[in-house]
Amino acid sequence: MTNTILTPEETASLNLRGIYASYGYKFYRMRRFEEYDFYAGKKDFLISSAILAFTDLNGKLMALRPDVTLSVIKHAPEGRYFYDEKVYRVPKNSSSFREISQCGIEYTLPVTHEALKEVLRLAVESLHAVSGGRRCVLDVADAGEISRLMPDEKRPEILRCIVSKNIHGLKELGASQELLDLVSEGREIPEGLCSDMAEIRYDCSAVTSLSYYDGLVFKGYIDGIPEAVISGGQYSFEGKKGAGFAVYLDTLEGSCGD
Amino acid sequence: MINIALPKGRLGDKVYGLFSSAGYEFSGISDGGRRLVFVNEELGMRCFWVKPFDVPVYVERGTADIGAAGKDILMERSPEVYELMDLKVGKCRMAVAGVNGYEDDMSRVLRVATEFPNIAQEYYAASGREIDVIPLRGSLELAPILGLSDVIVDIVETGTTLRENNLCVIDEIASLSARLIANKSAYKFKGERIREIMRRLEEVS
Repeated sequence: MTNTILTPEETASLNLRGIYASYGYKFYRMRRFEEYDFYAGKKDFLISSAILAFTDLNGKLMALRPDVTLSVIKHAPEGRYFYDEKVYRVPKNSSSFREISQCGIEYTLPVTHEALKEVLRLAVESLHAVSGGRRCVLDVADAGEISRLMPDEKRPEILRCIVSKNIHGLKELGASQELLDLVSEGREIPEGLCSDMAEIRYDCSAVTSLSYYDGLVFKGYIDGIPEAVISGGQYSFEGKKGAGFAVYLDTLEGSCGD
Repeated sequence: MINIALPKGRLGDKVYGLFSSAGYEFSGISDGGRRLVFVNEELGMRCFWVKPFDVPVYVERGTADIGAAGKDILMERSPEVYELMDLKVGKCRMAVAGVNGYEDDMSRVLRVATEFPNIAQEYYAASGREIDVIPLRGSLELAPILGLSDVIVDIVETGTTLRENNLCVIDEIASLSARLIANKSAYKFKGERIREIMRRLEEVS
């Protein structure tokens, strides 16, 4: 049924919040600002390195949050949380900031096998919740394994080739046969993590930064939406480990809601 | 339906030659008219001519499922697409060139004329050389001759234009050719068809 009061984005966000709450996750609402210094030295973690800053009335340099995960790790006690927030980033090839709506979860308790299974299940359920009945795929890769298979030299160039499925480029860079096979063929996802979720596939191109993501990483796609709708994974950050993902609600504009 | 973005011009003609040899033909496409969109219902394919620089945009945004783009444009724009295949046509080099006998004066900021500012920035950043990018559109050879720039970063095919203007290649940045690219999401849901196209192109390239 078409909802005439809520926008498609708001409808999607409500559906997602309902799913996360039903799994026992707690709603976490955070401040929109962080001290600017908080992001210094953490640029590798951030998708866009530009930060929208302003001086507060007390003279402190503040930033409009470019990322949710860092704030949850910093402020929230260990737990299972969901959020529905705005972040401020400069999209690629753009020269201005944009407000981006994200809804997602952060699992900051020790990430056991069962926990990881739960996070993957929630990612798949999130995809279905916003897909409007269209086909969905969750690409999963093991960032730790990929990192181990990469030589010490030319890692940024090799990572670029992995992300773009550029096999000929990997060969030119002298990547090992094992890495070439993993990128071109993929492999089984281990230990029954997703045996009952047909939407999950192993695909190395789901990998993003290798600086903080050191376990399973994933990206979710919906047929007809040209970019990834979900992005997330297992991370290790300043001694704290966790897992989580974000649903990029702005990618759904005009494509969901019924 | 598979949507294909092809680059207008010489490179596009070569790429279409490959598609045609692989059995993917579109009636009227070689007639030289002004039509931009061609459909082959039997194959379930539609192709359209776009400006070479725009091919990655059409593919990244999902208007085209696949496309053929020069490696130079992919290096310059870094689009979020899959680079699936080297089509091995349109081979040339991205190079730094200057007037014969040019020597770099390290005490000054290097003036670089180019159509590819990102490639030039990345290349010189690797050696820590500070540059002043002078963005130009075409006839770059003029810039060092008239003293507008010290060097140019440009595509070199045979080197004839450089030689005729008393210029030479100083360094090669990358080997270039046309690449088959795909929209990431389209590859998830139309992957089987895209891989079939790749198999057939592989046989003729």
